[in-house]
Amino acid sequence: MELLKRASLVGVVMSARRLLSARGLNVSRGTRIVLSGIDFNLVEGEIVALIGENGSGKSTLLETLAGLHPMSSGYVKRHDLGEPKLIRDSEGSRGNIAGFGLTLQSDGICGEETVKERIDSALKISGVIASDDDIESILSQWGLEHRAKDNVSQLSDGLRRRVAVLAGLMPAAMQSEPTVVLLDEPSEGLDKASRDLLATWLRALSLRGNSIVIATHDSQMISVADRLLSFDSNGSLNSSQGESLGEISILPSPAKKFDASRFFEFINWSWRMEKRNPIDTVGRATPALVAMLLAFTLVGQIDIPQTSSLSTHVGNDLIAGLVLAPAFITAIVAPALIKRLAEERAGDWWRAMTGANSRAMFSIGGASFILPIPIMYLSWFVIAGDIDSSTNDEVLKWLWLPALSVIDISAAAAALHLMVSDLNRSSAAAGSLLLLVLIWPFLELTSALSTIMESGMTFELSIGEPLSDILISSFSAILVWGVAVIIPED
Amino acid sequence: MGSRESLGTILTISGLSIASMTALYALFEAPSVSGGWEAPEAYRILYFHAPFAWLSFISFTLLFIGSIMWYTKRSEKGWIWFQTASDLGLIFGLGVITSGPIWGSVEWGTPWDWGDLRLNTFGLLTAVAMFLVLSRRSQPDTSATRDTLSSVGLFGFALVPISALATTWYQKRHPEVLITGSEDGSAGMDDEIRIVLILSFLILNILFAGFVILSNHRYLLASKLEILKSELDEGLI
Repeated sequence: MELLKRASLVGVVMSARRLLSARGLNVSRGTRIVLSGIDFNLVEGEIVALIGENGSGKSTLLETLAGLHPMSSGYVKRHDLGEPKLIRDSEGSRGNIAGFGLTLQSDGICGEETVKERIDSALKISGVIASDDDIESILSQWGLEHRAKDNVSQLSDGLRRRVAVLAGLMPAAMQSEPTVVLLDEPSEGLDKASRDLLATWLRALSLRGNSIVIATHDSQMISVADRLLSFDSNGSLNSSQGESLGEISILPSPAKKFDASRFFEFINWSWRMEKRNPIDTVGRATPALVAMLLAFTLVGQIDIPQTSSLSTHVGNDLIAGLVLAPAFITAIVAPALIKRLAEERAGDWWRAMTGANSRAMFSIGGASFILPIPIMYLSWFVIAGDIDSSTNDEVLKWLWLPALSVIDISAAAAALHLMVSDLNRSSAAAGSLLLLVLIWPFLELTSALSTIMESGMTFELSIGEPLSDILISSFSAILVWGVAVIIPED
Repeated sequence: MGSRESLGTILTISGLSIASMTALYALFEAPSVSGGWEAPEAYRILYFHAPFAWLSFISFTLLFIGSIMWYTKRSEKGWIWFQTASDLGLIFGLGVITSGPIWGSVEWGTPWDWGDLRLNTFGLLTAVAMFLVLSRRSQPDTSATRDTLSSVGLFGFALVPISALATTWYQKRHPEVLITGSEDGSAGMDDEIRIVLILSFLILNILFAGFVILSNHRYLLASKLEILKSELDEGLI
């Protein structure tokens, strides 16, 4: 690794523009006040180390700056995007901000991601597209090139931490404009060579004008900082000058910028994880198929007189309910996305990157889009396929409509599951009780399918008509989704 | 290409080629069955369904051996067998539980029977194989992970004799094995059908052998690669 002598930066940065500011931050964790009336400015090219005892509030401040914690008063803004943009305020508002450099104390990575994907995601969410060659060259510098295609879950703790730290540094390293980097105990778990490399990168990023906040106990990281902020026992901050020591590494050249769609990047990530390990599809399809075959067995037990048919003997409502039940089950199963987001706090990393409406994005990413339509048709063929009815063709032609509404139900269920997963002890909460509200749209769909079976599809919008029932089902699911997504965010 | 890899490739390619021809023959040329069948044409799916079932039993036997080797000796070779066998158990198990219900729905009028021991134990076997494959791919490759998955592999094998003998012990809907005819001579099969069925068994066994050799070779290389990567992990910076 080629190193340059470091320039003296401290005098320069103090006169530079702000990249991040916080005013009057009051943050509590439970009943304990952790941050009290904190004002904070981070200027261009500055490295700030947050120091203090365990539990003093270092991580809370860093995560509050990332927009992850609600505050009882104050706000956090970024100024590196042209005009000032809100990250979060005490009203619960969150801005639409571009991604930035963030490494949490946990790695914030789902184990199914590959090393290269993680770096790529961190860059793209920040609006940067780097070539494969550039990424490979950086991975090589960090001793990760041979692991580029490996799942993060297969790496040792030290290597995983190296990936998490590098992902936090890359958005700043590959952008031409200075940005913000927040690192929580970045050197924890790294070997000496990696810590030395990290220190040289920090100085190099600072030289390019990037502003860096590090929460740390590590004396080497502290020696790199231009300014030290230590916490008092009452939650306020004391500032002192740092040593600004360290060599400067050569950084990669800035890459191309593009208008990143945070929604697209998240959905893309979610889809990649599912393709690699389809536990969501398996977890939804298994109970649905069991329900379908049980329903088939139940129907087979019904003693139907020779002069009657199944639908006239037991009624269309029952058959419609049995046909819809498997698809409904696929919809209400807890999405695998929740487990993926909970792994090493990957969800918090994505929440910080996606800013406003992150729960809305998560709930759409966690909904079942693939299964409801094929499960519904399969269910029809298995349970009701031999019904001799003149409306059979109509049912086959329009069965996808209630299936689409089941997708809405799935998004609402995912939003409810996500809301419960935000509780501190979500595993101790009986979230399934909330799902009972979705029986109403299910019953509307049952009524719609029953009517189609009885008299075919009609497009009138009066009560009791199939289209109205399907629309009421979708509307009520969207209402539940909205309540689960919007109220807790604000 | 090493000699073992070449042999695996030859067996796989020839197995696939001849299996395709056999499939065409079974579909279009083999005689129809007669007497006592609800869907006499649909039986042709059994040319693959029955060999798939046999091969998935073989896979689970290999899985048992691999599990024991890992569990008792921490043998890397045992773990390679475990990986190959769980992959093949899933492939052939899925072949059985998709082809079976297709035939069952036309022959029995139902794709599945919750009261039939053979069907349900086979479904469970395939679910176990899927669990093993998905878990192997998603979990960190540690001794603890291997221990847990090996114990599930042992459990899976316990289902093999139950499933294999289910039609003898407890026949409800799934037919007996009738390749040589029933004991009282009341049931059996046409000679030509028997020949095609035996041929199908042989060819799919060749294909299976090719898969095993290639898969073992692949997992052996992956294991060596992982050792080399672990050596590189230290001191690349």
